[in-house]
Amino acid sequence: MRTSILAALLGAALMPFSAMADDLDLRLKKLDSEVSRQAETIINQQKAIEELKDSLKNRPAAEPALTVDSSSKTSGFFGGSLMNNPYISVILDAKGYVSNLKNGQLAGRGVPGYTTEGTGLRNGFNVDAAELLIFAPVDPYFNLYTNIPVTDSGAFLEEAYVVTTGLPAGLQVKGGRFKSNASRLNSQHPHAWAFAELPLAYRSFLGPEALGGDNGVQLTWLPSLPFYSLLGFEVLQGANPLLFGDDDNLGPHAFSAYARASFDTSDDSSLYLSPWVMFGSTRTTGILPADDVTGNSFDLRGNSALYGIEALWKWKSGRQKLTLQGEYLYLVQNGELSEIDAAGSSVKLEALKRHQDGAYLQAVYHLDRFGIGARYDRMEIFSDTFERSGANQSFGGKPWRVSAMTEYHFTEFSRVRAQFNHDRSDRDGRVNNEGILQFTFTIGAHGAHAF
Amino acid sequence: MQRILILLSVILLLSSPACAAVKVVATLPWIGSLAKEIGGDKVDVTTLVKVSQDPHSIEAKPSMIAATRRADILMYNGLDLEIGYLPILMESARNPVINPGNPGNFNCSAYVTALEIPTSTGRENGDVHPLGNPHYHLSPANMKKIAVGMGERLGKADPVHAGFYRGNAARFSTQVDRKMKEWQGSRLKGKQFVSQHRFFEYLAAEFGFSIVGYLEDKPGIPPGSAHVQSLIAGMVKQKPHAILSTSYHDQKPARFVSSKTGVRTVTVPHDVGAGGSRDWFWLMDAVIASLE
Ligand SMILES: [Zn+2]
Repeated sequence: MRTSILAALLGAALMPFSAMADDLDLRLKKLDSEVSRQAETIINQQKAIEELKDSLKNRPAAEPALTVDSSSKTSGFFGGSLMNNPYISVILDAKGYVSNLKNGQLAGRGVPGYTTEGTGLRNGFNVDAAELLIFAPVDPYFNLYTNIPVTDSGAFLEEAYVVTTGLPAGLQVKGGRFKSNASRLNSQHPHAWAFAELPLAYRSFLGPEALGGDNGVQLTWLPSLPFYSLLGFEVLQGANPLLFGDDDNLGPHAFSAYARASFDTSDDSSLYLSPWVMFGSTRTTGILPADDVTGNSFDLRGNSALYGIEALWKWKSGRQKLTLQGEYLYLVQNGELSEIDAAGSSVKLEALKRHQDGAYLQAVYHLDRFGIGARYDRMEIFSDTFERSGANQSFGGKPWRVSAMTEYHFTEFSRVRAQFNHDRSDRDGRVNNEGILQFTFTIGAHGAHAF
Repeated sequence: MQRILILLSVILLLSSPACAAVKVVATLPWIGSLAKEIGGDKVDVTTLVKVSQDPHSIEAKPSMIAATRRADILMYNGLDLEIGYLPILMESARNPVINPGNPGNFNCSAYVTALEIPTSTGRENGDVHPLGNPHYHLSPANMKKIAVGMGERLGKADPVHAGFYRGNAARFSTQVDRKMKEWQGSRLKGKQFVSQHRFFEYLAAEFGFSIVGYLEDKPGIPPGSAHVQSLIAGMVKQKPHAILSTSYHDQKPARFVSSKTGVRTVTVPHDVGAGGSRDWFWLMDAVIASLE
């Protein structure tokens, strides 16, 4: 009976409305009678329930010795019995770094045609951050999360957001300052990355921290389906200095939309797919370096859309785990590039058009506490358009990088990782052969990791 | 407008659980198995963890979120055993019914008196469980209480069949009492064992045997060689009955200690499904047979 209603509904949804007005009328009349019949059934069931309840009330309680009051016991949810207190954890991320390049060369080493910003690592000892995470349920309706990294330049608010926990129909709202979930990698904290740094395409299009924490609102919907699927939409202030940038005219001027789906490919493995887009208006000086001769800088005003599609396959069996992962990113950017002289006035205005892409592929294998991994990054696979006033610019050979890493987890809470990168992201500039020894330590509450 | 209302109510009707089975999501195999025993054909059980997996190191998968999203009741072990994946599942599932404090949140450990609640919970002692030893499912006394609690809770979710669930729970309790007589005839009393992990404490307390040493000096941390040496020295003197391990553990340390002491290793079935067991009684039979 229900199947026929469903079929009628599906039919109604699929056929163009104008062509089936009469037909619809007929169907609705049928539906109407179906509904009233169903309602009758429910009323009858309700009556039966009430009768049962009454009969139960009159019965003596069964085996009172065995009925246990559960209300006073702790739930063990969220890492402890102290339900009323916030959960605090601190994550220390420290790196030893060696490179064939000098610190001066590293600082200004961007990806030509994408970004002028270096990775921030220097030869010797680096303490990236001590991340302070505080989280707790606010009440039955909200959870609050804050993430405050303390770095050389002080403490700042990377994230502070609430997530709803009580909305119906699989809806959830997140609001405050947060790392966009449009891309899975973008939302991960640095200690959760599979390698010491993000893929080259992320650094090229978004910067070394990806989009970073941004103020905004997110709405996601998890439909009730036999497999995992999620739709998300975000409105963000647009603070990322490379893709969006502070704007003196606009309020929120960055948006994202994303879809996710995942299926189990066996008892031990699952496949995850996610297309996404981040788009909005752009104002940045981070794409091109100052002119060698004149010292003039370049300011872009325009619109950008960064498209991505990620595929991930994870297999975990017994003490072994294998993760294969790849992602393709494509940027469309149009705007006006103005050349600014030392006095701050615009001396030249030209049209800028960018259609550039990049991708990475990586594999990581774990046996118990031990892990190995490899990653290949490449930019400009299908598209390398960077036009100034209609003329395509050539920056030299295509940027690429290859990485290998091995790691050991002493426990779930401490890890040491050794990584080697052969980095050709500077195109025809100098190769960077870098070695990174990364130490990660976690104390405090047990933060569960997302997929 | 009226048509839209009709359409909406049809959609609501279609998604209402009026005559559908109660959708139970259970974390561990024994919980899923117990839910099937108490719920019979009135429940539809999805079990998240497979028996081949180490229950301490489960990672949240999107398919688990999809299952939890549709659950009427989430049943879990508690005592922090699921800390690595359950909080993220509960937040990601957007299913208010299963949030803590709501009727769809069934924490089995709420019916259990926890053993080994630590006085110090610093992680210098390894990955200790601050709420006590979470491996209570090999305890007949606790299982009876959980079964009764589960029957009551299913009755709340599905009042039409409350009597059915209560009856099944009572039947389960009676069967535990009957089997208990049989199990107590086993020759476990007074025996001494060495165990890989703190997994058999509830069983030992109820059946009168003792665990005199552990391969894992600190929970979740591979044993250091000094600890292993002193354990071997102690075992040579004490001659325990066997070294107990479970199938998801690395068998090497147990085999090494066995080769040095001559004490045999036993891989004890740790959850429903292991050792060919189809339900909890079967599991207990297999556990006790393996210990004898
Ligand atoms: Zn354990």
